[in-house]
Amino acid sequence: MGYTLSSPSEDGLVAKLWRVNWPVLVVAAAIAGMGAAALYSVAGGSFQPWAERHTLRFLVAVGVVLIMAMVRPETWLRAAYPAYGVALAMLVLVPIAGVEALGAKRWLTVGGMTFQPSEFMKLALVLALARYYQWLPEERASQPVWVLIPALMIVIPVALTMRQPDLGSGVLFAMVGLVLMFLAGVSVFYFAGAGLTAVAALPVIWWQLRDYQRRRLEIFLNPDQDPLGAGYHITQSKIALGSGGVSGKGFMHGTQSQLDFVPEKHTDFIATMLGEEWGFAGLLVLLALYAILLTLMLAMAWRCRHPFGRLLIAGTAMTLFIYVFINLAMVTGMVPVVGVPLPLVSYGGTSMTTLMIGLGLAMSSHVHGARPIRRDAAGALF
Amino acid sequence: MSDLDDDERAHRMTFRRRALVLGGVQAAGLCALGWRFFNLQVLQEGRYAPLAEDNRINLQIIAPKRGRILDRNGVELAGNDEVFRASLIPALTQDVRASLAQFRRIIPLSADDAEKIARRAKSQNRNIAIPIASDLTFEQVAKINVFAPQLPGIRTEIGWRRRYRQGSAVGHIVGYTGRVERLSLDDDAVMRLPGAKIGKSGIEAGQEAILRGRGGSQKIEVDARGRIVRTLETLDPVAGRDVTLTIDIALQRRVMERLQVERRASCVGIDIATGGVVVMASTPNYDPAEVADGLTDEAWQRLAGSAEHPMTNRAISGQYPPGSTFKMVTALAALQAKRVNTVERITCTGRYVLGDTTFRCWHRSGHGAVNIHEALRSSCDVFFFEMARRLGIETLADVARLCGLGTAYDCGLSDPKAGLVPDPDWKRGRLIGSWLGGETILAGIGQGYMLTTPVQLAVMTARIASGKAIVPSLVKRGADEDAPHFDDLGFDEAHLRTVRSGLVAVVNDPEGTGKNAALGPGMPQVAGKTGTSQVSRASSDSAQEALPWKLRDHALFVSYLPAGAPRYAFSAIVEHGGGGGVTAAPLVRDLMTMVLERDAAVMQGAVRDGPAPAAAADREG
Repeated sequence: MGYTLSSPSEDGLVAKLWRVNWPVLVVAAAIAGMGAAALYSVAGGSFQPWAERHTLRFLVAVGVVLIMAMVRPETWLRAAYPAYGVALAMLVLVPIAGVEALGAKRWLTVGGMTFQPSEFMKLALVLALARYYQWLPEERASQPVWVLIPALMIVIPVALTMRQPDLGSGVLFAMVGLVLMFLAGVSVFYFAGAGLTAVAALPVIWWQLRDYQRRRLEIFLNPDQDPLGAGYHITQSKIALGSGGVSGKGFMHGTQSQLDFVPEKHTDFIATMLGEEWGFAGLLVLLALYAILLTLMLAMAWRCRHPFGRLLIAGTAMTLFIYVFINLAMVTGMVPVVGVPLPLVSYGGTSMTTLMIGLGLAMSSHVHGARPIRRDAAGALF
Repeated sequence: MSDLDDDERAHRMTFRRRALVLGGVQAAGLCALGWRFFNLQVLQEGRYAPLAEDNRINLQIIAPKRGRILDRNGVELAGNDEVFRASLIPALTQDVRASLAQFRRIIPLSADDAEKIARRAKSQNRNIAIPIASDLTFEQVAKINVFAPQLPGIRTEIGWRRRYRQGSAVGHIVGYTGRVERLSLDDDAVMRLPGAKIGKSGIEAGQEAILRGRGGSQKIEVDARGRIVRTLETLDPVAGRDVTLTIDIALQRRVMERLQVERRASCVGIDIATGGVVVMASTPNYDPAEVADGLTDEAWQRLAGSAEHPMTNRAISGQYPPGSTFKMVTALAALQAKRVNTVERITCTGRYVLGDTTFRCWHRSGHGAVNIHEALRSSCDVFFFEMARRLGIETLADVARLCGLGTAYDCGLSDPKAGLVPDPDWKRGRLIGSWLGGETILAGIGQGYMLTTPVQLAVMTARIASGKAIVPSLVKRGADEDAPHFDDLGFDEAHLRTVRSGLVAVVNDPEGTGKNAALGPGMPQVAGKTGTSQVSRASSDSAQEALPWKLRDHALFVSYLPAGAPRYAFSAIVEHGGGGGVTAAPLVRDLMTMVLERDAAVMQGAVRDGPAPAAAADREG
């Protein structure tokens, strides 16, 4: 089954740029714009120190998406396993060579740059799983051996990040990984089984958690028990949101958020700020924008003609959804405080970079979507 | 080719079906969020919406009162003094400087301090109160409250200052509180209050969770000028609970006076029936009142940096080789493992040869042929060298651990040390070579790597005296709590009797090494064991008095009484005190006398027990 990399139907750059899914980028820009406005307000009506850099970061990220979209998906396919291997190696290195901050070792320093291997793994895991199902014929997807391999690909990074301890990333890997296996056609009985096992394993997990993680969960289950301790942030966040009402207090007029009641108001708790100043209406607009973005991405996956691309796009969409859901559920007190940013809105480079690179990978498959990739395009690794 | 196409088509169909399901789940998730926002912002709006445009809701934290620490009779060892303070919340005033200027008209406050406060108000979270004046008189508080309308952002509050009135006698036990140094996201919000204190050592740290209590809070709506419009919700603070200790301050004081005759020493007494610590003392010591009131850097350096380590509670954190006191464990282990019986005699020539190493008995000319009883009585090293060789280190270490060594006993305090029961596994873990036969021999007489704390030695003695797994505690059980049940350690009663008779002979036989611990006629019979742990190689060859103080041996003594029906177990260690029988035994004798005198007084009702603690405190103070 020979396959040549230079395909006769290769298009020119302009044609490719034309095929980029521009609506996705427009909606993403709208969300990032809301973020910039909120950051401007948080800083007391100033582009410094956050709003300007947030905007610049987003523009650079759009450039990266476009460049990545020009590269053919076969290239990303070939890079998938090596990337996963490198990410895994870095995760193993973190406890040995990592930098500790706030009681958790999550960062690695390479050449003066500090970054979190768990962020890299978020992309690498999606890539590797998509690569795997590109290769695996569908009728084998539910055979035990072929289920075990991707399950291990998910479990290993989950276990490594849980030990850092980074509960948030661990949960994200597990959820995105399971969703990809589901979309790839693995029998639903496996998921039912895994669900039952998870319920049975709850006491063990509880026992494995660090003290502070346990306390967060306990306080989440019974917030009134401790409105001043860890429940403090949630209480403040709820007051700010509630005082916003239907139409909000107006841009730059959020007394609760402006007056330092709300913690981390430019990062994880930025939705509180939005909710107070722009009210229920503002948050509804934000939710709608996310819904449109997710729908557009799902449509991209729908039309894509190879499993690799479909899973890559769906994986990125799922990551986005999980971030949005956990963050908004957190600031409204529906789930415990886990330190997850609101994608494209929260200030901070790491989450935006991860998400936009994911979008770049997805866009590559979309732009080149007309041609199916052959199953063995990367030279059969198996 | 068509195979591939078919497969791709199947793949795509599955994906699309399942993607629809997933899309549905995501839609449901977003709807749930939308509903939540609706609930919080529209349905419950009235709950949190301030009445007017510029008003805001402020969550203020109310500190709880810290629990007291009491002695067994209710005498206060640590309590709280009420103090009036004034503080400023920057968020509640439009002009910090104006508020402060008004404040200075009625309460003395230097211009410098006012400037400092104003600068701090800008740099910190605006909702956290800044203390601006403390130790206010009642009149001053009244004045501030009268002028309150002109003093936006400033309020008065009642606070507490920790008070330690019993001086250094209970310093190590009570410990002290200090500033919170490390704050994390999860910490109690009370800890974020200015002037928040947290237990740093002793009971204050060990029982922090009980003493601290729970903070209260108040949600108030204030207008732009900081005036309170309405109170939305108040949650009262819950005061910390008192902790009652097993010690008696009067007895503690007498013991401390006696102990201070020595330069560095520590002693512990345990009630065998309850595990309650009746005496715990360590010298040199410190007065928690001085530390808590804030020491100058210099004074702190003098205390914490001193070579004498006055801040260390040697009773739980001082680690020493147990020396010959450990022989009771070796004897019990040898009997239990059937490596010796009560009649076998081993000849001590003053030397013991293993391979090419010669170990010497402290008695240079030898004890002659001795059985286990005589070996304990005269503390014959050679006999126990042989026992250790027969037992092997693993068996010996197991019995030592059963007797309570190698375990950290906090007794309710903080930072206890675990000591060390060495074995080959430990040595391998430390990467300092493999276990040597000679090290087993030394372990048999409590030398070498072995380390114990005074409280562990008292536990060891109590366990051999009772055969039960006694665990010590300084915190007195409530009246409604059952007396603790200690499990049987599983030693053969006959073997325990053999060891105990040896310990009785140590104190009561004319040839015993611990005769100095015997009490006078009419007093209970004492059983005990001397110990002398080598500090330097030189010390074994020279007279102790001739050596510089730093090189002299540590003197140890452990005992229990009454010998027939053990009630109390004791241990004492005098650093560089020379021989255990000479220095430590008389110390323990005095200690036992004091405990018995107190008991006798309690029996006769001569000393208060229970009621009228205040009067008692006065008499003691």
